[in-house]
Amino acid sequence: MSAYTLFLFSVLVFCMPFGTHAENMQLDANLLLSRFDAGGNDDFKSNKAITAYYNYYLKDWIAVNAGLLVTDKALDESRKDIVGNYRASLQSSSILLGIKPRYKFSTPYEVFGRIGLQYWQTELEVEEYFNENIPEGSSSITDTGYGYYFGFGGAYYVTNNVVVQLELSRFMQPDVFGGDSNYPFDLNMNALSFGVGYRF
Amino acid sequence: MNNGTQRAYYVQSLTVVKQDFFSYIFFRQIIVIADRLPSRRVHYIVAAIFLVYLLAGCDVDGSNNLPRVPDTGLFIYAEANQHEMQDSAQVAAGVYRDGEPVGLIGGDIFEARTATQRVLLKGSGNYGGSYASLLPVDNSTQDVFFNVVHEPIEAREDRWYPVDIAYIDPGPGELVGKSATVSFPPEVTITGPAAASEYTSINDVIDLSWVPFYGDDTMKLLSAVSCSDGLAKTSYGTVVELADDDGLETIGLDKFIFDTESDPALTFIKDASLVLLQELLNELSANNIDPDFLVKKVEANPISSSCEIRLFLQRQRTGQFDVTFDDGVVLGSRSAEVIINYIPPGLNI
Repeated sequence: MSAYTLFLFSVLVFCMPFGTHAENMQLDANLLLSRFDAGGNDDFKSNKAITAYYNYYLKDWIAVNAGLLVTDKALDESRKDIVGNYRASLQSSSILLGIKPRYKFSTPYEVFGRIGLQYWQTELEVEEYFNENIPEGSSSITDTGYGYYFGFGGAYYVTNNVVVQLELSRFMQPDVFGGDSNYPFDLNMNALSFGVGYRF
Repeated sequence: MNNGTQRAYYVQSLTVVKQDFFSYIFFRQIIVIADRLPSRRVHYIVAAIFLVYLLAGCDVDGSNNLPRVPDTGLFIYAEANQHEMQDSAQVAAGVYRDGEPVGLIGGDIFEARTATQRVLLKGSGNYGGSYASLLPVDNSTQDVFFNVVHEPIEAREDRWYPVDIAYIDPGPGELVGKSATVSFPPEVTITGPAAASEYTSINDVIDLSWVPFYGDDTMKLLSAVSCSDGLAKTSYGTVVELADDDGLETIGLDKFIFDTESDPALTFIKDASLVLLQELLNELSANNIDPDFLVKKVEANPISSSCEIRLFLQRQRTGQFDVTFDDGVVLGSRSAEVIINYIPPGLNI
């Protein structure tokens, strides 16, 4: 899928509610406790992220949604090898587009899922330290691409319009730096999030 | 001497005696206590403890540095050993300046290569500042060329991220370009004793025989000994230098098995051979062996234990190093192995 197609899809999703019934929309804001996994000998510390979703309910049980994911800088463990001491870190931002099916119980509870595509931008920073005779330094590179995400969670309606929700999700970025490097990696991020939604 | 220097001194002393497990525990406690006391009292206490320790006749061994490294000048250590039936050689190398190991850094790294194969020495050797790896070889391989190269990307290849686009390159260091060459001597073929031969007393003798070459190469018999008395285990390495490459040597079993209650008549491996023998053991066991097997502490008395003795007969040939080094130990060797057993009478394990 090209960026142009994704943009058109985004415009469609965002413009749809302006010609439809107002109570079919929901805004979600979540705080995520997350952890990166680059698939190699990396060992990232957990980090934080935020997501914001706009959901438009086509039916009572399914919505299309568009969102934004921003993580803080996630630090890998400091390591030492034959070259020197080094530490890598990652920071990522994504535009999210997908669907959100749900099942609403008669009580004020509902369960839901999310699945969709993401357009990500990820920055890798590496700091290296050698010895007292060689100055330290850092290097930073950025890549963009398409990936996927999915998740599931539960929600509780505090009022008719306000909902609190707990969600488990996974964001996948395949082949990061694949076009520039002989050593690309697949980046996954698992997250537990807590958030609120406003139905209107 | 400030507290930091004092502590470094005691830590160095700990390294000196750490080959004995109880000494290790003992000196760890001393360091803990030393950290809590004023400096002058620490001096007296540690001096007294050292005096008692030395008077007790304990074996205080040099340091964790490679033996035979001179106090001044630039020294190179490079060694390659090809074991029988193996398709790779253990290679190790290091550089020392004024007696201290020089760590390669910033992408400088030892390369070992033959006419067709090449490997970077990324692993750490047993001695400070030494590096080790496995180099693919076959029986037609004659020479191994060691060279310090600057490979900022390849040296980082074990990292998880794209090391070819995210790295800081400080440029080649002063050791880049320095080299040494070793040649493999003829292969070793052991003809006796038979594998799994059993010996019951340390007064027994082993009739070691091999296909002779009668050259100027040095013959060494290394051993990796593993003992168990049913409760505790012991492992260590020994070395015996043989007189000639004449195909026959009679060696007492007391060169491999000893009694902890009397002075051992054997020589533990302390020199460069330890690096490669440990590498060889790692390779033969697919890394399923204690990485400190040859310097393991004695917890069971070998003389009253059942012991497996892995004998490695090694033919060594001295190599050459370039003129920018003041001195060096550069060796090529081939080896073969036979396993024998020591089972003292009355031991049923």
